Formats: sequence, C-alpha cells, structure tokens
Amino acid sequence: MHKLGRGHRDKVQQFMTITGASEKIALQALKASDWHLEGAFDVFYNQPHIKSYTDTRYLEELYNRYKDPYTDMILADGITLLCNDLQVDPQDIVMLVLSWHMKAATMCEYSKQEFFIGLQALGIDSLEKFRERISFMRAELKDEQKFREIYNFAFGWAKEKGQKSLALDTAIGMWQLLFAEKQWPLVDHWCQFLQARHNKAISRDTWSQLLEFARTVDPALSNYDAEGAWPYLIDEFVEYLNENGIIQNGEVSD
Amino acid sequence: MGQMVRYEDDFEADMLEDTGAYYSRKASSWIEDDSCPDYMLKSEECLKKERDRVSHYLHSSSETKLLEKVQHELLVMYANRLLEKEHSGCRALLRDDKLEDLSRMYRLYCKIPRGLDPVANIFKQHITAEGTALVEQAEDAASNQASNAPGVQEQDLISKIIKLHNKYIVYVTRCFQNHTLFHKKVPHELLVMYANRLLEKEHSGCRALLRDDKLEDLSSKYWLYCKIPQGLDPVANIFKQHITAEGTALVEQAEDAASNQASNAPGVQEQVLIRKIIELHDKYMEYVTRCFQNHTLFHKALKEAFEVFCNKTVSGSSSAELLATFCDNILKKGGSEKLSDEAIEETLEKVVKLFAYISDKDLFAEFYRKKLARRLLFDRSANDDHERSILTKLKEQCGGQFTSKMEGMVTDLTLARENQASFEDYLRNNPAAHPGIDLTVTVLTTGFWPSYKSFDLNLPAEMVKCVEVFKGFYETETKHRKLTWIYSLGTCHINGKFEEKTIELIVSTYQAAVLLLFNASDRLSYSEIMAQLNLTHDDLVRLLHSLACAKYKILSKEPNTKTISQSDYFEFNSKFTDKLRRIKIPLPPVDERKKVVEDVDKDRRYAIDAAIVRIMKSRKVLGHQQLVSECVEQLSRMFKPDIKAIKKRMEDLITRDYLERDKDNPNLFRYLA
Repeated sequence: MHKLGRGHRDKVQQFMTITGASEKIALQALKASDWHLEGAFDVFYNQPHIKSYTDTRYLEELYNRYKDPYTDMILADGITLLCNDLQVDPQDIVMLVLSWHMKAATMCEYSKQEFFIGLQALGIDSLEKFRERISFMRAELKDEQKFREIYNFAFGWAKEKGQKSLALDTAIGMWQLLFAEKQWPLVDHWCQFLQARHNKAISRDTWSQLLEFARTVDPALSNYDAEGAWPYLIDEFVEYLNENGIIQNGEVSD
Repeated sequence: MGQMVRYEDDFEADMLEDTGAYYSRKASSWIEDDSCPDYMLKSEECLKKERDRVSHYLHSSSETKLLEKVQHELLVMYANRLLEKEHSGCRALLRDDKLEDLSRMYRLYCKIPRGLDPVANIFKQHITAEGTALVEQAEDAASNQASNAPGVQEQDLISKIIKLHNKYIVYVTRCFQNHTLFHKKVPHELLVMYANRLLEKEHSGCRALLRDDKLEDLSSKYWLYCKIPQGLDPVANIFKQHITAEGTALVEQAEDAASNQASNAPGVQEQVLIRKIIELHDKYMEYVTRCFQNHTLFHKALKEAFEVFCNKTVSGSSSAELLATFCDNILKKGGSEKLSDEAIEETLEKVVKLFAYISDKDLFAEFYRKKLARRLLFDRSANDDHERSILTKLKEQCGGQFTSKMEGMVTDLTLARENQASFEDYLRNNPAAHPGIDLTVTVLTTGFWPSYKSFDLNLPAEMVKCVEVFKGFYETETKHRKLTWIYSLGTCHINGKFEEKTIELIVSTYQAAVLLLFNASDRLSYSEIMAQLNLTHDDLVRLLHSLACAKYKILSKEPNTKTISQSDYFEFNSKFTDKLRRIKIPLPPVDERKKVVEDVDKDRRYAIDAAIVRIMKSRKVLGHQQLVSECVEQLSRMFKPDIKAIKKRMEDLITRDYLERDKDNPNLFRYLA
C-alpha cells in the first residue's frame, strides 16, 4: 500500500469499502482495470475465480451459524435467524433476490452449496458485508432484465418440489410481492379474478406470460390483441375486466 | 455529357419557352371559340406538326420535351374546361355517340399522366345516369300498368340494361382501347346494383316469389339474371336468407312447443322438428334442381343456410342428439315411426343428408352408439339390414373410421348368436354342468361398445352358477380373454307366484336380484337389501321405486309413500295381479346425456392434442394464428373446435414439454422433440 500514490490508495480504500473485498483483491481488480474504479467493480463482480478467493473460512462460519443441527442444510429456523441478523423481514422481497443469487431450488431451505454460491456471487463473507449488500440487491429489482430473471426464477423456487404447477395461494402471494415493486395497476384485479374464477394451480407458461402482459399491455387494454397467443387464463381475465366494467371505453375504473 | 450542353442551354431552353408561350396564347383563344371536337382536332394537328418539325429541323432529343410542352399548354391547362364544355364536351359526345371524337380524346389524354381519370369518371356518371333512367321508366310503367303482366316490365328492363351494357362495352373496346380504367367503371357493379333493386321489390321480388312458392317465376328470374355477370349472386343470397329464416322459425316453434307441453310426452316435438327439417330440405332441393338448374351457387346457398339452423339446441338437446334419437325411433321395434321398408330406407337417406350439416359429428356418433347398444342388447332392433344400411351411408360420408365401432357392435351380435348355439350344444353334451336356468349370454368386444361401469353386485346363488358355467364353456373356446360381466344390461324372466295367479315378470337382472331376496325373507328393510346386494344408493332407490312405487307394485312398501327412503321396509306383494300373464317391469334408464357429452369432450381433448402435435411435428416452428387455423381445419371433419379449448391444450402441451414458446417472440411456437 505504501508504494501506491495517494490517488491510488484512495481508490483501493474505496473499493474495499464498497465491495468488502480484501486489499489484495482490490489491488488486483484495480490494476486489471487500469485504476478505473468503475471498471474495477465490473472486473470484481464478473470474475468468479477472484471471488472464490473470498475467504471460505468465513463462509463456513456463517453457514454453521444458520445450519440446522441435524441436517446439512439451512432450514426455516436458520433463515429466520438470518433475517433477524440482517434486520430484514422474512417476507421481504430481498430474500427472493438472495435466493436467486443462490440459485436455490426451493423456498425455506438452502443447501450448503447454494449458500456458498450465493454469498460468493455477492462478495459476502461477513454479516456486515451481508447487511451492506441489501441495498444493492434491492436495486437489482429495478433493472428490467434482472427483474424478469428473478420473476421467472420465483416460479420454480416457490412451487412444491415435484409439482409442475404453482399453488394458487402461493402464486398470489408472490405476485403481490413482485408487482408491488413493478407497480402493475391490475395486480389486485388479477388476484381477485383468480380466486373467483380459477381456483387451480398456475402453470409456468401462465406465470411467465403474465409478466409480458403486465409489461407490454397498457392497463386500459387498448393494445391487447385478442387473437394473440396469450394463455387462455389471461384472455379470461380480460373478459372478466370487461364484464365487470373495470375497463370501460379504455379507462380503468374502480 | 459535354456534347449537348450548348444545344440545350443556349437554344433548346429558349425554344421550349417560346413554344410554350405561343401555344398558351393560341389555347386561350381557341378554348373560347371552338367546340371540344374542333379544339381536339387542332390540338392533334399541332402535335403532329411539332413532331414533323423536330424530324426536319431539330435534334431528336427535343421531341419528348417539345411534345410535353405543347400537351401541357393545350390539353392539361384546359382539361376541365374542355371536357366540361356544355354542348360539345365529353358528356355531349357520349350522349351523341360520337365515337370518333371520343377516340381522339382518348388518344390525346392517354399520354398524360392521370389524364384519363376525369374522362373515365364522366363515362361512369353517364352510364349510371342512363341506367337509372331506364329503371325509373320501368318502375313508372309498372305502377301505371294493370297488374296482370307484372313480370313484363322487368324483363323489358333487364334486356334494356343488357343492351346498355353491350353498347358501352363497344365504347370501351373501340374508343378506349380496352384500358383498365374504363373496364372497371363499366357495368358489373351497375348491373348488380339494378338487379338488387329489382330483386328486393316487396311484392314481386325474389323473396315474395319464394314465400309464395312461385317456382315458374323463380325459374324465369334465374334465366334472366344468369345473363348478367355475377347477376345470380344476389338471387342466391336471398334464397339462402329465406331458407335460414324458415329453418330458424321451425326450431323456435319446436322450442316453444316443447316447453309448453306436458312432460308426459318428452321428445315428441323434437322428433316432429326433424321431420319438418327433412321436408324443408326436400322442398328447397327441388327449387335448386327445378328453378336454379342445379347451379353450384344455389347448392352452396342451401348448404350454408342449413348449417346455420341445423346446429341449434332445442330444450337442452343438441341437434346431434335429436338426430340420433330420430334414427333410434325409426330403427327400433315399436318406434314412433311406423313405416314400410322402402320408406325407412328413404328416410335414412335423408337423415344422412342432414347429418352432413351438423358440425358436432362426433357427438352424434356417440349418441348413436349408445342408442344402438340399447337396441342391440335389449332386442329392440327392428331390422338388421336397416341397421347396416345406415352405417354404410354414414361410412360413405365420413369414412370408415367413423363407423368402424358401430359396425363392430352389429357384428358382435351376429357372432353372439352363433356363440349361443355352441353354448347350448355344450350344455347338452355336459348335462351335469347345466345351471338349471335357461341362460343366454352375449359377449361384447370391449373397444366397440360404449363403456359401462361394472358393479360388484352380489348375485343370487342361482345366477352365480350360471356365470360359472358360462365361464367354463368360454374357456374351452378361447384362451387369454377376460370376461367382465355387466349385469346392468341383463334381462331376466321370473315367475311371480302371486295369490291369484302366477305371472311371468320380465325384469332387469338387478330387479331380479332384489326380488329373489324375498324367496328367503318375507320382509326386508332398505338397509338389509342394500347390504345383501352391495349396490349404491342411487341405483337401489331407482330399483325399489320401479318395483314398489310404479305402475306394477310387485313389492309393497311400508310406509306406503310415493318415494323411497332409507328407513322403508319391503314385502312381497302376494296380492298383486294383472289381466296379462306376462308383464314387463320397466326400469327407467339413467339420463345418459351428461355422460355422453363428457365422454365426447374428453375425446375431443385428445383429438386436439394429437392434431397439434401432428402439425407441430411436421412444421417444427409455427405462429399461433396459423397453428390454430390448421388445427381447426384438420378437426373440422368431426367437430368444430373451440378456440379456447385449443389454447388450453396448447398450454397443457407446453407444460408437458411437447412445445415451447420462442424466447423472443411469444406468438411463435416450437416443437420439442
């Protein structure tokens, strides 16, 4: 550190603070990006082998804190503890984002591998860093592409193991969570419609197409193509909106 | 490049300008004084002279530019004034049949871009005016005239219109060189428009003739209008609308009558309806052959009309069901139709023709099959030949696959008779094996017959022996076949030893099982009967009702109410008697309609799945719209698939990983091998 110029020293400091990486990693990344801070961040977050250098000892420690006493997995209690530590509500959407980073197979449990993958991807090896990464994870939801990935990931994660479809109640819960972020004005009507008329599980196709519907069709349905390839449930939803006068003359009324 | 510059810049440009100015002056005075033909003659002359000048004095490259200039000044600038000249303009020329002048007009204006548009417009307006005048003349004459020659004016008018048409076709060829602009303006539309006015006349138009069955007059109309290009289209349209209206009215009548009627004759109105529809079809088919010379346009109109009202529902029954019931009535013994063999054949032919108009053909097949099964198994079929005959006709229409199961059913019965003969031989040769009761067994091939639920009925001991004996016999005949007994289809003849006299009762096997219980006990409760026979509540209630609360009370019930309840007690009614020695105790059948509709819906789902997979397998990638329309087309032979149903099946196939949506375009689907 002493051999570096003052400007460079500052950058190393900044880098370490923001990413939580060690000095050695900071130096590597900054050198690789010719001492441009932004570039260094890209380098850091895109190169897994640098991250695997992240002290796995600390990850072990963290994992052991949350792991279930009888199984080699983190289960509900462990997750609750984690949420407490992070000062985050277990229902908070940030937990979904975390699970996405972990590529978790199913909700309410994390395998050791998933835990490690996730924390390494986020560059976390301590609780402090973990807490710091929370705002980053929240910000990721604003990115259109990432939101879509997280949304589609949520289907597989929220459904029961071995089932092909997602139970309606769980789906509704997830939708309300996700669309609170995305601000889709029809989400409540959608959930009401499903409870009144559908009452069955949701297929993956319907799930993913709903996002496209929310993204591309305006809430007054003016650009909805009835001859299009929308899943039939969405067609029925449109009929429901029209029948109940929720959409009239291209206006959304309540 | 360099060679003509001096010529163009220093000489040609000025020459053109001066020429323009010269002709502009000339034109402005000519247009005032000259008639249109004269003006045109002069223009033509000028153009000719200029052309000559170029060839004598100027460079050839100037020709186009020069002529364009002259044209512009003489013809373009004054086009409107010229054409619209009151006594000699385009209209006047048309009016006075000045073909020469019109030809010149064409020659002059065809070289100018869009120059012919105003001429063509005037041409069209002129013809329209002349045609309208003819029609009005004819209408006046007709209203003034005595009504005993109503068609004459019309005939006269049509021939005048055709003459008009021909006259102007000559103009188009001679003056206007067959230019497309003029062809379009002429007559098809005009003629059809006038034809419509005549056809739609309230008291003498086409509708009136159809209403009053004036076949001769309709025939004349046909001959008249077939001369006009596309003149028959409106006639065919009116024909179709008329039939549709009549057919729909019949259906509505039947619906009303059925709902008003007492419920003790259900189905009668529906049968009457089918008869009436057949008659309607015969009637209008005659029109097509006699009045409309079997023209395809009218065959098509008839077909489309029937397709509209032949697919309507009447008091909850689909047309497919009505038609199947109608067939059942003709084919069963003691059916409501008492007809000779010939009449039956004829009626069956007509039924098959109607069948072609029904879109839910698969539904008809299923209802037909169910009713066929009852006819065959309860020995109600009047005539085997008729059964086979209608199947042959249906096969001709729809292909072998449609009728294969039904044909299998009829064959099974024939085989069953042979089998029964062998069984009786077997019993004669093994007297010890004889169960002591006369037994007839019909073996059905599972795939052909409708599916029947089999229940674990606790058979009375006597019947158990029968079953065992037959099983023994059957195993000597064939190996590797499993017999499943369907007792609900069986019939039993039982002797009821009543106090007054013994009466032979013809009952179903289930009913017999109930009655035989009373050989062992005098009095049984509902629950006891239930426990002994192992039946469901629904079935047991039906059975006991038929024996204790219906026309013939073989059992007496305590309390003596009209319905069965689970706390009732039953006794053999020894006091029962009837004047006949043999009576049939009917067991009302369960309503099959719901089940049939469910079964057909299920089959349709499979059919749609298969169609989608077949299409996607060969096309690999296909857009949504196209997939849906190809699917509909493939399935149209058997039924009209609902778009929603197709969508649902597609989504199911996506879940089962047969298909996927394209990543970038959700309207595109890919086949997943």
